Amino acid sequence: MARVTKHKHYRPPGKKKEGNAARYMTRSQAVKQLQVNLPLFRRLCILKGIFPREPKKKVKGNNHTYYHVKDIAFLQHEPLLEKYREISSYQKKIKKALAKKDEDLANRLRTREPTAKLDNLVRERYPKFVDALRDLDDCLSMISLFAALPAEQRLKINVELVHKCRRLIHEWQAYVARTHKLRKVFVSVKGIYYQAEVEGQKITWLTPHAIQQILPDDVNYSVMLTFLQFYETLLGFVNYRLYHFINVKYPPILDPRLEALASELYAATRYIDANSRALVQHNDSISSISDLDKAQQGGTHHQESELRLAQLQHQLPSNEPGALMHLIEDNNGENEDDQDTKECKKLFKDMKFFLSREVPRESLLFVIFAFGGAVSWDGDGAPFKEVDQSITHQIVDRPTQGHKYLSREYIQPQWIYDCVNARIILPTDCYIVGRIPPPHLSPFVDNEAEGYVPDYAETIKRWQAAARNEVLPMPSLGKEDLDDPQNLLVEGYINRAEAIEAAERKRKMESLEKQYHEELKMELQGVNNPSLASKKTKTTSPENEEAKEESIPDIQQIADDAEKMTKVLMSRKKLGLYEAIEKNKQRKKTHVNKLKERKKLHETQKSA
Amino acid sequence: MELLKNRLVRLNQPTQPNHIQTKFMLQTNSICLIDHLQEELCTDNDNGVEDGGQSGDSKSDQVAEESDSSEDEVAPRNTVGDVPLEWYRDEKHIGYDITGKKITKKDRQDKLVSFLESADDSKNWRKIYDEYNDEEIELTKEETKLICRLAQGKAPHADFDPYAPYVDWFEWEDAKHPLSNAPEPKRRFIPSKWEAKKVVKYVRAIRKGLIKFDKPKEEPRFYLLWGDESSSVEKTGHLSYIPAPKSKLPGHEESYNPSPEYIPTQEEINSYQLMDEEDRPNFIPQRYASLRSIPAYENAVKDSFERCLDLYLCPRVRKKRININPESLKPKLPSRKDLRPYPMTCYLEYRGHKGAVVSISTEASGQWIASGSTDGTVRIWEVETGRCLKMWEVGEAVQYVAWNPLSELPILAVSAGQDVFLMNSGLGNEEVQRKIKDLMRVEKSFAPDDSGNVASDLSWLQDDEHGGIRLRHFRTVTSVEWHRKGDYFSTVMPADILVPHKIPIALFSILIHRLSDKLTQKLPFKLHGLPVVSTFHPTRSIFFASTKKNVRVYDLLKKKMIKKLETGLREISSVAVHPGGDNMIVGSKEGKLCWFDMDLSSKPYRVLKCHPKDITSVAFHRSYPLFASSSDDGTAYIFHGMVYSDLNQNPLIVPLEILRGHTSANGRGVTDCKFHPRQPWLFTAGADSLIKLYCH
Repeated sequence: MARVTKHKHYRPPGKKKEGNAARYMTRSQAVKQLQVNLPLFRRLCILKGIFPREPKKKVKGNNHTYYHVKDIAFLQHEPLLEKYREISSYQKKIKKALAKKDEDLANRLRTREPTAKLDNLVRERYPKFVDALRDLDDCLSMISLFAALPAEQRLKINVELVHKCRRLIHEWQAYVARTHKLRKVFVSVKGIYYQAEVEGQKITWLTPHAIQQILPDDVNYSVMLTFLQFYETLLGFVNYRLYHFINVKYPPILDPRLEALASELYAATRYIDANSRALVQHNDSISSISDLDKAQQGGTHHQESELRLAQLQHQLPSNEPGALMHLIEDNNGENEDDQDTKECKKLFKDMKFFLSREVPRESLLFVIFAFGGAVSWDGDGAPFKEVDQSITHQIVDRPTQGHKYLSREYIQPQWIYDCVNARIILPTDCYIVGRIPPPHLSPFVDNEAEGYVPDYAETIKRWQAAARNEVLPMPSLGKEDLDDPQNLLVEGYINRAEAIEAAERKRKMESLEKQYHEELKMELQGVNNPSLASKKTKTTSPENEEAKEESIPDIQQIADDAEKMTKVLMSRKKLGLYEAIEKNKQRKKTHVNKLKERKKLHETQKSA
Repeated sequence: MELLKNRLVRLNQPTQPNHIQTKFMLQTNSICLIDHLQEELCTDNDNGVEDGGQSGDSKSDQVAEESDSSEDEVAPRNTVGDVPLEWYRDEKHIGYDITGKKITKKDRQDKLVSFLESADDSKNWRKIYDEYNDEEIELTKEETKLICRLAQGKAPHADFDPYAPYVDWFEWEDAKHPLSNAPEPKRRFIPSKWEAKKVVKYVRAIRKGLIKFDKPKEEPRFYLLWGDESSSVEKTGHLSYIPAPKSKLPGHEESYNPSPEYIPTQEEINSYQLMDEEDRPNFIPQRYASLRSIPAYENAVKDSFERCLDLYLCPRVRKKRININPESLKPKLPSRKDLRPYPMTCYLEYRGHKGAVVSISTEASGQWIASGSTDGTVRIWEVETGRCLKMWEVGEAVQYVAWNPLSELPILAVSAGQDVFLMNSGLGNEEVQRKIKDLMRVEKSFAPDDSGNVASDLSWLQDDEHGGIRLRHFRTVTSVEWHRKGDYFSTVMPADILVPHKIPIALFSILIHRLSDKLTQKLPFKLHGLPVVSTFHPTRSIFFASTKKNVRVYDLLKKKMIKKLETGLREISSVAVHPGGDNMIVGSKEGKLCWFDMDLSSKPYRVLKCHPKDITSVAFHRSYPLFASSSDDGTAYIFHGMVYSDLNQNPLIVPLEILRGHTSANGRGVTDCKFHPRQPWLFTAGADSLIKLYCH
């Protein structure tokens, strides 16, 4: 009798696979099933948005990539697969014709090469427009990167592709600028980050600096190009839909003169402007004429509103109890959004900018347009010239400025970005030509959560408050009181120490508050000297610190003990979690401490 | 020579060609020959053979006269042939002349001299150094011109005319016959069959629509894809789509002009080099003074590519990130204020021992404590005053001291080395003293019982020196525990595995002695493993013996094991039983404390990891719901350990206080802790030779 050897995953004959073995397959299995080669499989996965899964139990071993069986079945039913087969057989025909020296036939075949259309895929992957917007980050970053890349035939990055990318990204930027959807800008070493808010979705993308980019060799460009192929289609449809909803024809027909001058962005925005205005007028005239059809229109209007309601309900999960509440909230959100947009629209109102040759024109044009300013630049096609007396700001990025008009301010480009992020017009003193501007801070960081607020963020906050004409209480101090766990713990134990500390804290707070208000007053009067203020704080503090130090070690000990004792009773699982959290906190704290240390070092160096 | 000339003449003479092609062939041939002849002629001339009659005849001959091909020059004097000249680089000669003699190299001229010479010499530019022959050649005017012409891509000879008028050598006038006599074929007059076939094929293909000529109509590429949102909500029947996480947003440090504190110092940057590849930060913040000075980011494409890889190669899993407040993880404990009284602060110190205090014991009345130290003394202290009442010199390091639990029998059991002393403390009134003295008298005529239960080689001796009884054991005794009634006590001799003993070790490790009979017996049941500590049940006749890993519970009356408590610890150091008798704590050398609810399970109800070092001793308070542990890390923990009479309610354990004050010596901290029998006070003995009293 033959001995039956039991394997690790032994399955008796006739029994179906079940569990992870039935649900997942490795990549090579998938490739075999689909009867495609690996590059085509990759391409399909990219286009279709299929990614590997992580099964709980990896049946074939750890060093395999697993795909869900349903995902692969999904690929198998994709018409694109058939299309790619068709394309490859067609390519064979051309090859054959060339091999037989039949140029004629080859040329004729080339005129009608089948191409894969990705429209369905876009629709399938993003059933709703919002979904598409949510996933637009990578798309925009990639397209703006390719718009800045040099065309290289060897890597199949041809000129048309680069131009297409340029055009798409400019169309998008034109939309964002004209509808004032831009919210934040950040100039980093990697490029310029923009954040726009379209239909409630925050979309962040990175555009590289407008300098010759390097094409490294250790990159698989065919993968990137496949991604680009999809992204390009996606952005095209997104742009169409966005333009459609502001009643502008897509694709825009640009002024060829401006296009030749590589200021497509300006051309596109002008196009949108002109078109939307014309359409609005058109609509007005129509409405005035067709008074007779009013009743009918009312009917349609009613239908429309019903439709809208249905849409809204569809968007919400229906079984949620507070569905109506959500609806109202959504509406509120929209209103707020509108306010935000209004604020953005007004930021650079009544300001006229002139860009010098050396500043990054495209970026500044985009930003200033988006925040409601008027811009011109040094070059052909500019709307107004440098000599224009109504220019209020000239943006310059050179060591010294030769001829200066007295009627305008000469500032560095960072001023624009900082203003945009702060949403106020900042004082221009620090941004004057030739001076090293104050630090450029990231608008994406929540300073409070990070635990460290850079000085300049603090000053900007104060300016903001001053612009709103309100005196802030000192939020940081109040919070510190509440948050400090040590204090809380100690409170239970030593009343004396607590009393002392509380009194001390109160005193300190008072003095700080007073000083803060003084500072604010000074600031508002236009005296800007932070060093003086900081000196004052230093003079007041030392007595307090001494008093504090006496009581510290004992309290520290008690707090530590309390901590230890609670830990003694925790279960191992909870203790692990707790310690992980603490460790994380500690890491954050050390980072902040390091920053503070460096700051101190820097200050001592400065004063020395 | 003559022969050649004749041939040329013959060729030059027009023959009668009847075919054009042959004529062309001839022509080309003749030109080649002429060229060759020219050379031949000119060599002839140079050789001095005058042939004046021929020279003026034809143009070709004239050209030949002016020829200056290389063959008419003097032969090179070097005969090495076409070999690389570097073979001779290090030699003194450059080769050999025709006679086979070495041609020595010319002396190298001084550079300065040669430069000066060249500066002076106006003809310097036409001098060329011939490496092969090691000589300098001055080019003639004609030669330079020739070079110039060659450089311009012209023919070398000035007289050569590349566009000379074509001379048709073939004579057409006399041709009487056509070149071919064949009649014109039929195929020249009928249309091609194959062409017709091909045309038909094309026509058919066009009719069928297989060949299309008009370009495909261009449709608008983009249209309103998301026109009606409402229809798009139908489920795709596909797996749930997990959107890719968005890339991380940049922080302050990525700014082109960050605050100076975000820029690492040079030392920090250097230290990154020492870091592991994975830990190393891949982005080092940098500061640029102005926007125009930002260079292109070299990793732009790479970053983008890596993002692409992440998007299509990384498995995506939905992970729930819970935002837990760490405070909420901590167990909710009752306020410690409500659990008072418990020992909190050090109230008294008992000084006097010279060495580390190893063991302490409180007297039943709570007025006295006894302590034993490694300096070989046992002392009795008054609790409230800290006065040392009495002192015995035992001579050996004391291991353990224990008061008799009866207050009317103030006897102290002390273990030191292999001896256990029973000492009369001398406390109490005369009647008590008398009673004690009666009890402590050992009859010399003590006849050992022969029954197996009695350990025979153990002797009860009268110890006159200390005024008590001395029990000589065969091994070091580490602990002495009294039974609650004060008549029995047990001694534990932990087995020394290294020394093999005649007597089975496990059998005789624990002995039980009876004071009234002066009798010693071994345990009436088999012990598994090597015992570490033992203790009696506070109310019932149950005995606990603990090995390194487990605690075994024996019934002394039925003489069998009741229970085995599995601690899961590495090495047990001490045990204590709750006065209620159902709960027990076990301290271990890895600093863990186990609480057993013996009714509940044989596994610990709770394991408390409180000490970083060995636990030396654990103790329950007799009346308050308190227990304590002392450790070599120099601290003692006080816990609230409430046991409820309701069996459904689990014991409540709350850590109350960490008592510090002892300094550690030789790696030992607090060696023993005991509660006061009535007050919520704790005595601790330290390796720093102090005994401390902590009060509430």
